[in-house]
Amino acid sequence: MNTLTIKRYIHSIPLAFVYIVLILASIVMVLPFIWMISTSLKVDAEIFGDTIRWIPSVLDWENYTYIWNDQKMEVLFRNSLYVSGLSVVVQVLLCSMAGYAFARLKFRGRDALFAAILITMTVPFEVLVLPLFLLVRQFPLAGGNDIFGQGGVGLLNTYQATAFPHLVTVYGVFIFRQFFLGFPKELEDAAWIDGASKSRFFWSILIPNSRPVIGTMGLFSFLWSWNDLLWPVVVVKVNSMKTLQAGLSTISQNPSRWGEMMAASVMVTIPTILVFLLLQRFLVQGVATTGIKG
Amino acid sequence: MAFEAVKQPSRPLSIQQRFSLWKSSDAFTAIVFLAMPLFLLLLLKFYPILYNFVLSFTNYDLSPNFRFIGLKNYQEILTNQVFLKSIRNTLLFVVGTVPIGTVLALVLAALLNQKIRGRIIFRTLFYLPVVTSVLASSLVWRWIFNPQMGLINYSLKQIGIQGPGWLSDPNYALISLIIIQLWMSVGGNMVVFLAGLQDIPTELYESAQMDGAHGWQSFLYITVPMISPVTYFVIITYTIAIFRSFGLIFLLTQGGPSLSTNTIVWEIYQNAFGYLRFGLGAALSVVLLITILLLSIPARILQKEQS
Repeated sequence: MNTLTIKRYIHSIPLAFVYIVLILASIVMVLPFIWMISTSLKVDAEIFGDTIRWIPSVLDWENYTYIWNDQKMEVLFRNSLYVSGLSVVVQVLLCSMAGYAFARLKFRGRDALFAAILITMTVPFEVLVLPLFLLVRQFPLAGGNDIFGQGGVGLLNTYQATAFPHLVTVYGVFIFRQFFLGFPKELEDAAWIDGASKSRFFWSILIPNSRPVIGTMGLFSFLWSWNDLLWPVVVVKVNSMKTLQAGLSTISQNPSRWGEMMAASVMVTIPTILVFLLLQRFLVQGVATTGIKG
Repeated sequence: MAFEAVKQPSRPLSIQQRFSLWKSSDAFTAIVFLAMPLFLLLLLKFYPILYNFVLSFTNYDLSPNFRFIGLKNYQEILTNQVFLKSIRNTLLFVVGTVPIGTVLALVLAALLNQKIRGRIIFRTLFYLPVVTSVLASSLVWRWIFNPQMGLINYSLKQIGIQGPGWLSDPNYALISLIIIQLWMSVGGNMVVFLAGLQDIPTELYESAQMDGAHGWQSFLYITVPMISPVTYFVIITYTIAIFRSFGLIFLLTQGGPSLSTNTIVWEIYQNAFGYLRFGLGAALSVVLLITILLLSIPARILQKEQS
C-alpha cells in the first residue's frame, strides 16, 4: 500500500461510519410509519398473531373502508379542508400585508408597534386558550347570544372559530417582513417613477416575486392548522363540525381495533406528507430566517 | 443652488388636494394594510393576555355570578399536591427530553452536513415525524407500546425480557412520552442546526485537517463551539415546546396513571374544560406564562446580538 491508498483508507472509515449511523437513525424514524401502514393492511388474525410480519400476507383494505364509514371521515376531511384552506389563504394574505407595512412603509410609531407584536411571540397559545374560548363563546349576537354575549354558545362549532387562531400569526408577519426587507430598493424606485402607488407596487411586483416566502408560509400555515388539536377540541362540540384531529381524538383515547386505528392514521397523515414533499425546498430557508420548526 | 429656487407654490392646498396627497402617503397605505392584521392580533394576543390575568383572580365557572377572590387561586396552586406534582412532572419531562434531543439533533445535523450521497433523502426521512400530527403519532406509538402485542414488548420477549406496561405503568408512562417526544422533535431541531452549520466557514475545517485533526476532533473543537449560539437557541425553544406539550398527554395518558404524567398544561385544560374552574385554570396559565417569559428573555437578547 502506498501512502495515498492508506490515506484514502483512513478517510473512508469515518465516512462508512457516517452512513451506518445515518441509515440506522433513518430506520428508527421510519419504522413507526412502516408499522402503521403494515398494520392497516392486515386482517385481524395476523395483527394479533404470534409472529411479527412486516409485510402482510394478504393486502386487506377493509380496515380503511370500515373506519371511513364508521367515523364519518368524509365529513371530518371536508371540515379539515375548509378550516385549513381558510387558514392558509387568510394567513398568507394578512401576514404579507402587515409584513410589507413594517418593512417598506415609513410611518410614526412603526418600530414600537412591531416590537410590541414581536413580544407576543413568546406567549404560547396554550396559555391563551381559556380567554380565547370565552371570547368565542361570548361573541355578541352570534349563536343565540345577546348583545352582551350571554345566553347562547356564540361562535362555538363554526369554521370561523376553528380557523380563528390561524388567520394571522406573528411568525408570519415576521418572516414576510424579513423577506421584504431584502427586496432590492431599485425595483421600488422604478415602480414609483412609472407612477405605481404603494399598494400597486405590493400587489403587482412584490407579491409575484415572493414565491419562496409564500411557499414557506403556505407550508407552515397548512401544517399548523391541519395538525392543530387543542383548539378544535376546545371550540367544537358537535361531531358534524369537527376536524379530523379532533374528531378522531375520541377514538384514539381508547383504541382497540388496531387495524382500523392505523388505517385512520395513514389517511390523516397522507395530506401533510404530500404537502411537505411538494414544498420542502422552502423549509430550510424558513427555518434559517426564523428558527421555527414546523 | 439652482434647485432651491424651485419652491412649492405658497397658495394653501384645497381639502381635496390635501386628501389626495395624504392618500398617496405611506401612513395611509400603512393604515389600510395593517387594519385587519392588527385588529385580529389585538383579539388573539393582547386582549386574552389581559383577560386571563383578570380571570385568575376570580372563581369564574361560566355562571354569571362570580366573585373576585384575590390570590386564592394562586394559593391553591402552591399548596395542592396535584399542582405541585404537575410542576414536577413538567420539569421531569423537560429534563428527560431536551438534553438527549439536542445532542441527537446536533450529531445528526453534523453527520448530514458532510459531503455524502442522499443528504436530502436522509433529511426528509428525519423530518417526517415533525409534519405528522400528534394524533397519528400517538396512535401508532400506543400500538408499538402495547403491553401484550406491541412491537417493543414482543421484541423484548424474544430475548427473554418481560417488558413493562409502558403507558399504563406509573413508573414508565412519562418515559414512554419522552421516547415519543424525542422521535417527534429530533428532525425539527436537526434542521435548525443544519441551517446554523452552513454558516460555519469551511476554511476552519480545512486548516484543522491540515493540522491533522480528524472527523471527531474537528466536531468537538470546531463545530461544537462555533454552533453554540444555535445550540443555546435550540435548548430554549425546545424547553418551551416541552412546557407547551398537550397532545401526547391528552391522547395517551390523560395525566395518569396515578398522576404520573399530569403536567401544567394538562392541569390547565383539565380544570377549565373538565371541571369548569376557569379562574383556577387562568391562574395556572399565568404561572406557566411567567415561567416561559423568564426562560425566553435570554433567548431574545441572544437573538438581538446575532442580528
